[in-house]
Amino acid sequence: MTRIRTENLGGATAWILHRPHPSVNGLVRQLGVIGLEVHEAWPELPSETIEADFIFYDADMGHDEQFPWAPGQSPMPMIALIGSEAPGRLRWAMQMGAHAQLLKPMSDKGVYAALLVARSNFDRANASDALIADLQSRLSARQTIVRAVMLFVMKGKTEAEAYDLLRQTAMAWRVTIEIAAERLVANHSHERGADDGRRIDPA
Amino acid sequence: MKRIVDIGVLLSRGGMYAALSRASRDGVLRGVAEVNANPGLDLSFRVTERDPDGRLDRYAPLCREILRGSGVRHIFGCITSASRKEVIPELERFDGVLWYPVPYEGFEASERVAYMHACPNQHLLPLLDWALPTLGTRAYLVGSNYIWGWEMAQIAREKIAAAGGQVLGDRYLPIGDTELDHIIGDIRALKPSFILNSLVGDSSYAFLARLAQLKQEAEFADSLTVLSCNFTECEIEAAGEAAEGLVSAGPWFEPDGGGGGSFYEMARQSVHELARLLHGRPEAEELPLAELLHTALRAGRSTRLDPVHLHARQPAIIARLENGRFQEIRQLPVTRADPYLTQRSQPLHPGAHLKVVS
Repeated sequence: MTRIRTENLGGATAWILHRPHPSVNGLVRQLGVIGLEVHEAWPELPSETIEADFIFYDADMGHDEQFPWAPGQSPMPMIALIGSEAPGRLRWAMQMGAHAQLLKPMSDKGVYAALLVARSNFDRANASDALIADLQSRLSARQTIVRAVMLFVMKGKTEAEAYDLLRQTAMAWRVTIEIAAERLVANHSHERGADDGRRIDPA
Repeated sequence: MKRIVDIGVLLSRGGMYAALSRASRDGVLRGVAEVNANPGLDLSFRVTERDPDGRLDRYAPLCREILRGSGVRHIFGCITSASRKEVIPELERFDGVLWYPVPYEGFEASERVAYMHACPNQHLLPLLDWALPTLGTRAYLVGSNYIWGWEMAQIAREKIAAAGGQVLGDRYLPIGDTELDHIIGDIRALKPSFILNSLVGDSSYAFLARLAQLKQEAEFADSLTVLSCNFTECEIEAAGEAAEGLVSAGPWFEPDGGGGGSFYEMARQSVHELARLLHGRPEAEELPLAELLHTALRAGRSTRLDPVHLHARQPAIIARLENGRFQEIRQLPVTRADPYLTQRSQPLHPGAHLKVVS
């Protein structure tokens, strides 16, 4: 987090989803002081908010339909504005994907911290999601790799030679081992299908 | 007949940073005397004073005592950021306003504080803009071990990295600590092109003295320039000759060899600023600060404070201490404060007027 301030907040846009209320004034003031462009909306976020840099949303009176995206799928950091600390309301605020929170009434305190914490949590969650998706696709590719190796084994290679051959093929094609395996398996199924109409699972 | 407005003063007469708080206090009292003697103003100030003696835990209770025990709404005081943060909850609770006339590290905009000196876009960034091309890009950072020292180092680190420079090291000392062997050892080994000194009070004087000894060695003569955003004329006496050559940034330097510097002058000007805002407006002292400023602006008055973030517009002046006097090296025009450094990517000011650059 040493480069926390290089994320220049000047000119960033923030939308506040809250009914007009004096408890929001402190937040509007402080966002302006920090240098953000502030918009307010109620009862729904207009579709253009998809471009926003931050969303502040009311955890007390909010509901799913106010957002143009599915719960937890916001394309930007979200900050819950909490008045009632009742567990049901907090659960909803978290389901919506709170990356940070502020307590009502909002004052000149905590706003800058909430912005930086929310952005950091949002970035971290995105990075984790991307990593998980990548690992999942690699995991599901493992079976394909085994099948591709078996193709070479059926042609008389040892397992080590087969694996090496797969790696060389991937390098020659300039693709990942997973993609090379997928192509080899697909080609093989295609050939077998064209040869005699029989489907043999090479693995 | 002048109406009387009660104000508070919360500045230490003793302790680790007494030279700073005494200068600030002298400035406030001077400003009060000038306002009271000015027949053109329809008010005079009556001072309620408390002395925290440089002890952090005394600020909040004394601030409360001032606000509760009298009709005071406006208090002039605090030197360290730590003490300012101590009193803000009291100001919120008892409806007070703090006039804070010393430099600070930014990243704050309380509705109850008038930030009357300078923040980093008005001191540290212009200072580094001068230093990096002039002195070189290998920096060493020292500071007192609290928010001022830490944040100055953090901002400097970013600025220096962006300029392609290198921070060779950073070290922090408890306020008042004068155990400097490891820092001097570092500097001797690393030979930085400049040192950013954000030490406060006695630690700073001890550091300058040790560094002056080091600079007597031929290898270090004419190098090791010290930069500071908190060293002003009010510390020249305490630091002695060891401070010679130090380059400081601030909104104001003494033109005629005075000893108060910007700590004195901004405190004095703060009192005048409040007097101008209250003149001809009975009971305006009861208004929240932002409203006091907005109504004044609507009435066609000018104010130095930005009504949105309550920080003062200030010029940035860079000056070098030569023969006990600060000599101006560069002056940038009056700039709006940018407490959260969100406007940093934009140019400081078009057509910055450069004076003699050595």
